Amino acid sequence: MLCLNNISRSFPGVKALENVTLKFRQGEVHALCGENGAGKSTLMHIISGNLQPDSGTIVLKEQPVIIENVLQAENSGIAIVYQERSLVDALTVAENIFPVNQPKTSFGLINYKALYANTTALLEELQLSHLAPNTVVGKLSAAQKNMIEIAKALAKKPAVLILDEPTASLTHDETEVLFSIIKKLKQANVVIIYISHRMAEIATIADIVSVLKDGVLQGTVAADTPVDTIVKMMVGRALTASVFSSNTTGNVLFSAEDISGKGFSNVSFRVHKGEVLGFAGLTGSGRTALAKAIFGDAKYDSGKMFMNGKPFRPGHPADAIASHVAYLPDDRKAEGLFLEKSITENIAAVHLDTTVYNKKENERLADGYIRQLSIRTPASAIHVRKLSGGNQQKTVLAKWLSADPELLVVNEPTHGVDMGAKAEIYHILKNLTAKGKGIIMISSELPELLLLADRIAVMYQGKLVKILAKQEATEEKLAALASGIL
Amino acid sequence: MYKGIVYILVLFLFSCELPPRSGSSTAGTTKGEKKFITADEVSPDEEYVMVTTAVNLPLYVNHDQKAFLAWGKKTAVKVSILGPSEWDVPTQIATIEQVIPGKPAGLLINGTDPGIAQVIKKATDAGIPTVVYDSDIPNSDRHCFIGSDWYEMGRLQGERMAKIIGGNGKVACMGILGMENMEAGFNGFQDALKKFPGIEFIGKYDDKANVETAARITADLLTANPDLAGIGGFDSNSGPGIALSVKEAGKAGKIRITTVDAEPEHLALVKEGVIDYLVGQKRELFTWLGAQFLFDMRHKTMPLSADDASAGVVPIPQTVITGSIEIDKNNVDQFMQ
Amino acid sequence: MKLKDRFTDRVFTLGGSILLLCIVMAIVFPNKFPTIDNFSQLMLNLSIDTIVAVGMMVLMIAGMFDLSVGSVVAFAGGMAGYLMYYHHVNFVPAIMAGVAGSVLIGFINGWLIARVGINPMIQTLAMMGIVRGFALMLSGAGIQNFPYEYTVIGQSKLFGLQMPVWYMLLVVIVFAYLTKNTSFFRRYYFIGGSEKAARLSGINVEKMKVWAFVISATLAGVAGILLSSRLGAALSTSGRGLEMRVITAVILGGASLSGGYGKIWGSFLGALFMALINNLLILSRVSGYWQEVILGAILIIAVGIDQLILKKMEK
Repeated sequence: MLCLNNISRSFPGVKALENVTLKFRQGEVHALCGENGAGKSTLMHIISGNLQPDSGTIVLKEQPVIIENVLQAENSGIAIVYQERSLVDALTVAENIFPVNQPKTSFGLINYKALYANTTALLEELQLSHLAPNTVVGKLSAAQKNMIEIAKALAKKPAVLILDEPTASLTHDETEVLFSIIKKLKQANVVIIYISHRMAEIATIADIVSVLKDGVLQGTVAADTPVDTIVKMMVGRALTASVFSSNTTGNVLFSAEDISGKGFSNVSFRVHKGEVLGFAGLTGSGRTALAKAIFGDAKYDSGKMFMNGKPFRPGHPADAIASHVAYLPDDRKAEGLFLEKSITENIAAVHLDTTVYNKKENERLADGYIRQLSIRTPASAIHVRKLSGGNQQKTVLAKWLSADPELLVVNEPTHGVDMGAKAEIYHILKNLTAKGKGIIMISSELPELLLLADRIAVMYQGKLVKILAKQEATEEKLAALASGIL
Repeated sequence: MYKGIVYILVLFLFSCELPPRSGSSTAGTTKGEKKFITADEVSPDEEYVMVTTAVNLPLYVNHDQKAFLAWGKKTAVKVSILGPSEWDVPTQIATIEQVIPGKPAGLLINGTDPGIAQVIKKATDAGIPTVVYDSDIPNSDRHCFIGSDWYEMGRLQGERMAKIIGGNGKVACMGILGMENMEAGFNGFQDALKKFPGIEFIGKYDDKANVETAARITADLLTANPDLAGIGGFDSNSGPGIALSVKEAGKAGKIRITTVDAEPEHLALVKEGVIDYLVGQKRELFTWLGAQFLFDMRHKTMPLSADDASAGVVPIPQTVITGSIEIDKNNVDQFMQ
Repeated sequence: MKLKDRFTDRVFTLGGSILLLCIVMAIVFPNKFPTIDNFSQLMLNLSIDTIVAVGMMVLMIAGMFDLSVGSVVAFAGGMAGYLMYYHHVNFVPAIMAGVAGSVLIGFINGWLIARVGINPMIQTLAMMGIVRGFALMLSGAGIQNFPYEYTVIGQSKLFGLQMPVWYMLLVVIVFAYLTKNTSFFRRYYFIGGSEKAARLSGINVEKMKVWAFVISATLAGVAGILLSSRLGAALSTSGRGLEMRVITAVILGGASLSGGYGKIWGSFLGALFMALINNLLILSRVSGYWQEVILGAILIIAVGIDQLILKKMEK
């Protein structure tokens, strides 16, 4: 159906793709995996017409084609769901799903009746019938927006559907819905290209898996190939499942007593020195709201918090920082980093309470952390926009480490970070606990919670349902608690 | 380090040069020093500069600038017109300041605001023959002022108004309140009307030199005073605004209108019979004669002593009032082309 | 600094352009341009704009701007003039009243923008009208005849240059030093870079925004006092269109409307560049409305070239 023959593409200094040949068949879910920078995105951009290959050919329905732009790709039946959203918050669901191809009345005006009817039909298919077509997209949750993004792609009735990390912000239930849709599309003979980091998903939904590394195709294997083998193909080495020993102590570092605020209520828990307290739950279960309240970025209405036994009432992030609390936000690019500033300046951001801006000292700090956390960059003066996801995340970590926090709240610390950097971040966090720091770790990736946390708290609809000790926690149990089943 | 800074500060303090106190005139201090620049030869390169504000105002372009350019052509010298396109007095000042160092043969300055006195002084101190036109600038040491007498223009309007309404009825006037020349005009207008006990002056109104505002005020006046006899206008847009409203009310010819300026739209309204009387300024004379004075001063056309520049004698008139142009339906055709 | 970085540093490219322009002008107008008189006049004319531009640069580094500065210039001079002329207040309290009024205007702007959340463009646009109205009420058709002491401030000369030039240099040097070396002013670069990230790094963004508007309005107030002192008159048309001129200068000087960039020296060079163009037009006797056409074109060319260089380098 769709064949890529010997596709190469290079950017200054980088060979993004080298002689990649892939065949995508109708009614087959073809997973594509590889670390960040392996060439997956470049490949997608070439298929969707955003980029042109330097050499090689694309054959669509036995016809060699040159896809010059996105419009042409769409007309050839190629639809893509990007990781980055392409929705306009101020417009309705229906208008977002049909941005150009709206049904028209005989006067050439937009036929809203038909538009809404078409939208409703699509939403039903996606089991989102509780959303009205005239809802404004800005009011939706991140997961719902993601589903609308998928609906937008499906509205084009594509022959080739590309999904780029579609489940990144979906809940368990929504993922199930997505999978059932994918199965239906499969029966309808649609070519599905599925890009994901999550090995478990790939095993569930994909038929075959192609692995890219450094722009070179490592091979195409059946989806039931053991995960270890695939990971080995991706990183070029076996990822040893490291086991971390616990550093937890009996001394309480932080405690929350019955705190309530917008998005969470009556939450009580303690964090000990040297402990990693994991927080599991679905998107919107109140974990981020709780973290922001602890960091003083959101108001909490009632309850008490204590830091080292002293009452702790942060009204602004500056208060929290003064009490040695730090927060690594989930939205790294918008909240964690100054993308257009250097690594040095990003670290300096938490040292602006002094009178004099000490550039030399900040540079020294930055150089130190670049070595300590092995941030891969030519210099500390490089703008963080140019760094990879993993190195960006390490920069945020470096910023907070330089502030010397006692309690570090990390929200999705490995989101969008490649395998190698993930392992490094785990080590960094664990090393902190060895120094007696406490960590609150919010994560949607259950394996990493099970790996790092000493205890795991589960939240559901704003309530802390249960705190499990490491020994009693399993993925099934956590998932069940997080979905409100147990 | 600190000692050094103190030394520098003291040095600064001593090298500070204070501005001259006002009143302490520099005239007649040093013997033999020339008070203004003169030249024996007329050079085609010598330049006369006009600096105004709102350079593209039609009234300025069609009268002041046109006459000035014509004078330049006739005299075979260079003439330049400078200034901001908006009504922006500080920029007019900045422009004059930047022209002064180039020492033009003469400066012709539109007296837009009393605040420009200082820069005019700067020009005369630099020895540049300087003429202010349109409105006089007090305390400026300008060599000559040439313009209209606004009190006289108001008086003429008032007298004509009294005549055409037969010495009886209610009369109002409008213009820009607070502007010196307008206020003089209002006074002349009222003084003329005072001689007629049958006339009731009901007030002066601010139309902000805006046609719509003038029309709105007129409409309000007509509603409040159904027996209104006449209205006098004092800025360029008063007349057209008043006429518009009077025509809309169907009272053209019944409400008598006198106003200033003789632009084509004013003339058309006189022809139409809506406006009874116009008193125009002789703006062409401001700049033509003003420029000629500058030329005469520079080239010692009519010396009053052996060396006027050294003697401190300004060989041109101190103040010239050009008088007014009176227009009504009897002579309006001579102004329309 | 590497050569490549130099070409994207506006202080460097603009400085080069200014030098080039000066050389060209000196060749074309050998008798009029390179004279001490012309130079001191040029500096004097740009001094007021530059003092306002420094405050605007601080705001634009933080990703905001203030349209009310031109009105504040007229207001501060009008306020001082009104008190001295009509109420015979001594010049010192009169100046203090003018500046204090400006500080208050800045505070109201900042408070409504940072705490209430009004968009800076809307807030300062409204404030521009309100303050212009107050300025007209205070100075009416203009106030002259200030006390001699008041005119000393703006009309004294030091080494042949009128005092506003020295005040301008002082403001530029002090602010350039402060924005480089103090944490307080560094914070604005972070707020402009990402407001959210700045807040989550412990910067009190709201408070800093209020301060930025206070600083900008205070400098505008000082500029207004200097302008009226040097003109010897408080004119109601003072500062009309100044806000746009200053924003143009600051953008020419390397600021970005989205914030995070800019150097104080850039605002000085931007204003200098515009003053040179203005000087060029006056020396070549080009009529006034061309100035606006030419400055508009230069702004588009400068920013356009920047974007082209950036695109080229990213490839």
